[in-house]
Amino acid sequence: MNVTKMSMSTTHKNISFQLNGRPATAHAGNHQNLVELLQGQGLFGARESCGQGLCGCCTVVVNGTAVSGCLTMATLVDGADVRTIEDSADGQLDAVQRAFIDTGAFQCGFCTPGFILMTRQLLEEHPDPTDDEIRHYLAGNLCRCAAYTEIIKAVRLAAQKRKE
Amino acid sequence: MNPFELAEPRSLKAALKLLDAGDESVRVFGGGTALMLMMKAGVFQPTRLISLRGVESRYARVTAAKDGSLHIGALTTLTTLGRAAAVRSKAPVIAGTLQTLSNVRVRNVATLGGHLAHADPHMDLPPVLIALDAQVVTAATAGLRTLAVADLFTGYYETALARNELISEVIVPAQTGRRSAYVKLTTRAADDWPTLGIAVSLQTDGRVIEDARFVVGAATEKPLRLPSVEAVLRGATADDAVLARAGEAAAAAAELVGDARGSAAYKTELLRVYAGRAVRKALAA
Amino acid sequence: MATTSGNSKSGAAEFSALGRSIPRVEARAKVTGRAEYVHNLRLPGMLYGRIHRSTVAHARIRSVDVSAAQAVPGVYAVYTAADVQRLIPEPYYGPAFHDQPILALGKVHHVGEPVALVLAADPHVADAAAQLIVADYEELPAVFDEVEAMTSAAVVHEVLKPAGTFPDLKHLKGKRDTNIALDFHLRRGDVQKAFAEADHVFEHTFRTQQVLHLPLEPFVTVADPTPSQLVIHTASQSPSFVRIEIARLLGWPENRVRVKVPYLGGGFGAKLYIKLEALAAAAALLAGRPVKIALTMEEQFYTLTKHATTLRIKSGVTKDGKITVRECEVWWNGGAYADIGPRITQKSGFTAPGPYDIDHVSIDSYSLYTNLPPAGALRGFGIPQLVWAYESHTDMIAKALHMDPLAIRRINILREGRPQATGTLMRDAGIDPVLERLAQRMAWEKPFDKGSGTIRRGRGIAIGFKASISPTTSVAIVNISADGSCNVYCSTVDMGQGSDTAMAQIVAEALGIPVASVTLVHPDTDVTPYDMATLGSRSTYHMGHAVKNAAEDARDKLLQLARDVGLSAETTPIPDIFRKKYGMQAGNIVGVGSFIPPYTPPESGTGQTPDATPFWMIGATGAEVEVDTETGEFKVTRLVNLVDVGRPVNPAIVETQISGATIMQLGFTLSERMDFDAGQVTNASLADYKIPGMRDIPAMMENEAVDMVQHSGPFGAKGVGESGTFGVSPAIASAIDDAVGVRLTSLPLTAEAVYRGLRAQAGKPLQD
Repeated sequence: MNVTKMSMSTTHKNISFQLNGRPATAHAGNHQNLVELLQGQGLFGARESCGQGLCGCCTVVVNGTAVSGCLTMATLVDGADVRTIEDSADGQLDAVQRAFIDTGAFQCGFCTPGFILMTRQLLEEHPDPTDDEIRHYLAGNLCRCAAYTEIIKAVRLAAQKRKE
Repeated sequence: MNPFELAEPRSLKAALKLLDAGDESVRVFGGGTALMLMMKAGVFQPTRLISLRGVESRYARVTAAKDGSLHIGALTTLTTLGRAAAVRSKAPVIAGTLQTLSNVRVRNVATLGGHLAHADPHMDLPPVLIALDAQVVTAATAGLRTLAVADLFTGYYETALARNELISEVIVPAQTGRRSAYVKLTTRAADDWPTLGIAVSLQTDGRVIEDARFVVGAATEKPLRLPSVEAVLRGATADDAVLARAGEAAAAAAELVGDARGSAAYKTELLRVYAGRAVRKALAA
Repeated sequence: MATTSGNSKSGAAEFSALGRSIPRVEARAKVTGRAEYVHNLRLPGMLYGRIHRSTVAHARIRSVDVSAAQAVPGVYAVYTAADVQRLIPEPYYGPAFHDQPILALGKVHHVGEPVALVLAADPHVADAAAQLIVADYEELPAVFDEVEAMTSAAVVHEVLKPAGTFPDLKHLKGKRDTNIALDFHLRRGDVQKAFAEADHVFEHTFRTQQVLHLPLEPFVTVADPTPSQLVIHTASQSPSFVRIEIARLLGWPENRVRVKVPYLGGGFGAKLYIKLEALAAAAALLAGRPVKIALTMEEQFYTLTKHATTLRIKSGVTKDGKITVRECEVWWNGGAYADIGPRITQKSGFTAPGPYDIDHVSIDSYSLYTNLPPAGALRGFGIPQLVWAYESHTDMIAKALHMDPLAIRRINILREGRPQATGTLMRDAGIDPVLERLAQRMAWEKPFDKGSGTIRRGRGIAIGFKASISPTTSVAIVNISADGSCNVYCSTVDMGQGSDTAMAQIVAEALGIPVASVTLVHPDTDVTPYDMATLGSRSTYHMGHAVKNAAEDARDKLLQLARDVGLSAETTPIPDIFRKKYGMQAGNIVGVGSFIPPYTPPESGTGQTPDATPFWMIGATGAEVEVDTETGEFKVTRLVNLVDVGRPVNPAIVETQISGATIMQLGFTLSERMDFDAGQVTNASLADYKIPGMRDIPAMMENEAVDMVQHSGPFGAKGVGESGTFGVSPAIASAIDDAVGVRLTSLPLTAEAVYRGLRAQAGKPLQD
C-alpha cells in the first residue's frame, strides 16, 4: 500500500472547471476518474460500465471533444469545459434526443446518454452521414439491448431535422 | 486504484528532468488510455505519474516538410493525425488505418507517441509505420537520437527506449511513387483487436513492383518485416502466381502466435491468403 | 435496413390505447440521463463493499487472513462467512436448492466465488484492501464438463437441500454425492418399436458454449438498515422473491424487509432471485450502516452465466421425411450453484423434440453441478440451446434425404389442436403461419443466387417454440384519483422491455382513459403487491391480466359509486363522480386484480400433463450468408425474424424486442464465448469477450409479428421478450452448410471452424 507514504496534498488537488456551462470546483484525487468526479457533482448520466472505454456509457465531452470518463483522470479536467448529457436537460430536448424518442432508439436506457452525445459529435463532423460513417463513428458504443437498427434510424432522422 | 502523485510539466525538458530524478515506478503518459487500463487492472500501481499533456504544443502537431516528409509530434492525438490534411494526402494509409483503430473517444485522447511506446503487439500503426520506413526521434536529457520504428520494438511490450527517454517525434519519409495498404483482420466482432495485421508498401513502375516492404503484426511478439516476401515481390508483376508465391513465403516465414482469436495454424492460413490481398489493396490505393 | 411490424388486420381499430406505437412512458428521463437506476443511489453514511473472491475452482478453505485488509486506513470492516453466521446461522439461499452461501463457507465451489467482503467509505480503499486478503485453500479435484459431471468422482456438493419455494419445483429431492441437481424424463408412445420400424435413423450431438447476460448496468445493490426495516434498493428482476428470501434468511416477517427497484440497465435473466442482496443485507446489518455493492464488468463473469450444453438427438424418419420417433438427451452445465437451472432443465427440457408432431418421444434432461461460475436463466430459458440442436438436426436429416428444409418442416410441424410431447394441446400457437410467412419473406421457393468463385452464398431457416411459466402469481392495484388520473401498483420491473408502457396501455384501454393519465409505481414491496418475477416473457400475459383485472375492478367500483350518488355511470366524467360523492376533489377508487394461470404438474417419469403452459411463444429466423471459401470467413447478410406474439400491445416496442433478442442471440452465435482455464475466465472483459456492436449487425434485418390473437391473453396479447432468439443460431449454421457444405455442430460459429470444415471436406485437414 502506498496510501500511507503520501499525503493528500500531493495526491489530491483542488480543481475548478466549467460544468455544463456553470463554474464548478472539486477536491479530487489523481486516482479518481471523471465519472467519479461527476457523481460527486450529483450527475449520474455518465455511467461506468465496461471500465475500459469500449462501451461508451461514460461518454463526456471535454473541451468540445468526446472522451471516455472512465479512462480520464479527474484532475486533468482542471480548467476545462465539461459537458454531460444533463447539459441539455433544462427542459428543451434537442433534435438528437427527440429523434431517439421518435424512433424508439433505446430500451433500458443505460447506454443512451453516451449514444446521444456521440451522435451529436458525429453530426457536427458529418452533418449528412452515410450508413458507413454512422456505423464507424458509433462502433465504440455498445447497446446490450441492441437497439442498433433504431439508433441508425435516429441518427438519420436527427440529421434531417437539424437541416430543417 | 491507490492514490498517486501527478506532475504536469509545461515543457518536454522539464518532463525529462522529472524522469531523470524519478524512481523506477514513475511513468509518463500522453492520452493515458492504456495506462489507465493497466492501473485499473492492478497490473501497474504507480506512486507518481508525469502527464505530457501540458508540454509545448509543437509536440502535438503534424507538419509537412518541403521534401514531402511528415513530422508528427509524439503528442499528436490519433484523431488529429487522422484528420490532418498532410497525412491524408501524403500517407493516406495512416488515415485509413485509424478508422478502425479503437474508437473515436480513445483516438480523441490517445497519442501517437504513447501508441508506439506502449509496444502492445496488437497496435495497428507500428506495422504501418514500419512499412512506410518511418523513424522516431527520441529525447532524453542527454540529447536526441533517431531510430527506425522497426528498431523501436525489441519484444513483447518491450522497446529500445531507455527509462529516461521519450519519443518526441515520428518522421514519415516522402512516399513519392509508393502505394501502401494495411489489412486488419478481426475474427470475432467487427471491432476487436486484430487477429492479424498486414502492412504493405510498394514502389511501383507501371505494373512492376520495384520495391516492397511487407510487415506482419498482431499475431507476432512484435511487428515483423518479412524479407522473403519482399524478395518475391521485388521486380515482379503482381499476377496471381506471384501473389500466391508471396503468400507461401509469408506463411513459411512468419511464426505466428495462436490465441482466442485463432489458432497459429489458422492465422498462418489467413496470412497465406491475405498477403496477396494486401498487395492488391496497396496496388489499388 | 428494411423493417416491418405486423400489419394486424385484427388490430388496433377496435381499441383506443392498445396496438399503438406510443413512445415509452419514461423516454424523456432516459434521453436526458435522468432515469433512476440503483447505480445512481448514494445514502448518507453509506459504505462501499468490495468482494474478495476465490482464486481456485474447488477447495476446502483452511483459513482466511483478513488482518492486512483490516489494517488499511479507512477500512470500516472486513467480513467472512463466520461474521455472516453471527447474524444468519444458515446463510444459504437459492430458488431451487438452498445451496449458495452468502460468503463461501467451508468450501469454495468456483473461481470468483465471494469469500470475504471489505467495507469502506472510499471505494478505492475497499478495493485495495480486498486485494490484501489471503485465503489458504486445500484444493480438491474439480469437474468442469457437464457430461463428465454425470459420473465424475469430483462431487461439487456433498448434500443437496431443496428450497421448496416454488410450487413447480416441489418435487426436487434432497440427495447425496451426486452432481445431478435434477433429472427430468418424458416418455410418450413406444420409442423402441418406432425406431425399429423407421426407414432411416439419424443421430447427432451438438454443443453450446458458456456465455453471459452482460447487462451494461452491472449487478448493484444498496442495503439500508433503518430503525424499523431493512430497506434494499436493488437492480433486481424479482423484488418479491428478494423480500421473501431475505426475510427467511433473517427469520423476520416479510414486512420488515422492504425491496425497492427503479429502472434496470438491462437484465436478460441475470438479475433474478438473490444475487448481491443477501450479502449487502448481511453487511449492512452487521455494520449498522448503509452498504452499496456494485460489481465491475469483470465480476459479472463470475456471477451468473448461461448454461453450456451437450445435446444428443436421435430421430427415426420415414422415407418421405415424416419424423416418427425422437430421443433427446440434454446435459445442462449449471456451474457451482443450481440457481434456476432445475426449472430450465424441466420447463425447457420438455420442448427438446422441437415444434414437431412426433408420436413417439423420449426426453432425458439433466441439470448438472460443475465447478464453473453458476448458470441461470438467459433470454430464452434454455430454448435457444435446444432449438440450436433440433433445427440443425432437422436440416441434417433433410439434406441426407435430399429434401428441402421448408418441405420437411411442413410435413412435421405441430399444427393447431395437436398434442405436444407432454400431451398438452397446441392452442393459439402460430407455428404454421410463422413458418409460412418466413418462407414468403425469404422468397424461399424462388431461385437463390449461390454465388461463384471464392464467395459462396447460402440460406437457412429455423423455427422454435417455448412454453410459458406456470403456476405463478401476479397481483396488481389500480388507484384512480379524484381527477380521473390513476396509478398502477405492480412489481413488474421495467428493465428495458417496455413493461411500464405496456401496463399503462392496458390500464388505459380497460378504463377508457388516455395513456398519459396512467402512471406506474415502481416495484416497492411496501407498496406494490406480489409478483413472481419479471422473467420468461411472462409480464405482458400474467401481469397484463392482473392489471387488467385491477383496472376492471376499479371501473366496476367507480360505476357503483356513480350509481350510488345518482349519476349516469356511462356518461359522467370521472371527476364529477368524485365531486358529487365527496363535495370536492377528494377520495380514491382502488381496484385489485390478480392472476394465476392454470397448470397441471407433469406426471413423474412420463412428463405427461394436459396443461403444461398458459401459452406458447413461437419464433423463427431466416438467414442469408456469404462465405469466403479461401479463409472460411463469413458474413450474415440478411436476417428475417418472424414471431407470434399474439396481438401486439405496442408494435414498435415489440419490434425492438424482436430485433434486440435476435442481435443478442447473434452474439451468442458468432462471437461470444467465455474461455476458461482451470475454472478461471480468461476473457472476463469487453475487450476480450465480444458482444455485437454497430458494425456486426447484418445489412438487412427484418422483423415481423404475424397476425395472431392469443385468445386467453389480455386483449389478445402474449409475451415477446425471448421469441426473437430461437431460430438465429441454427438458421445461420444451415445457411453456411447451404453455401459451402460445411455443417458446424458447436457454438460459436467461427471462421476458423468453417475453414477447418472446408479443409476436411477437401481431404486436407488443417494440421496444428
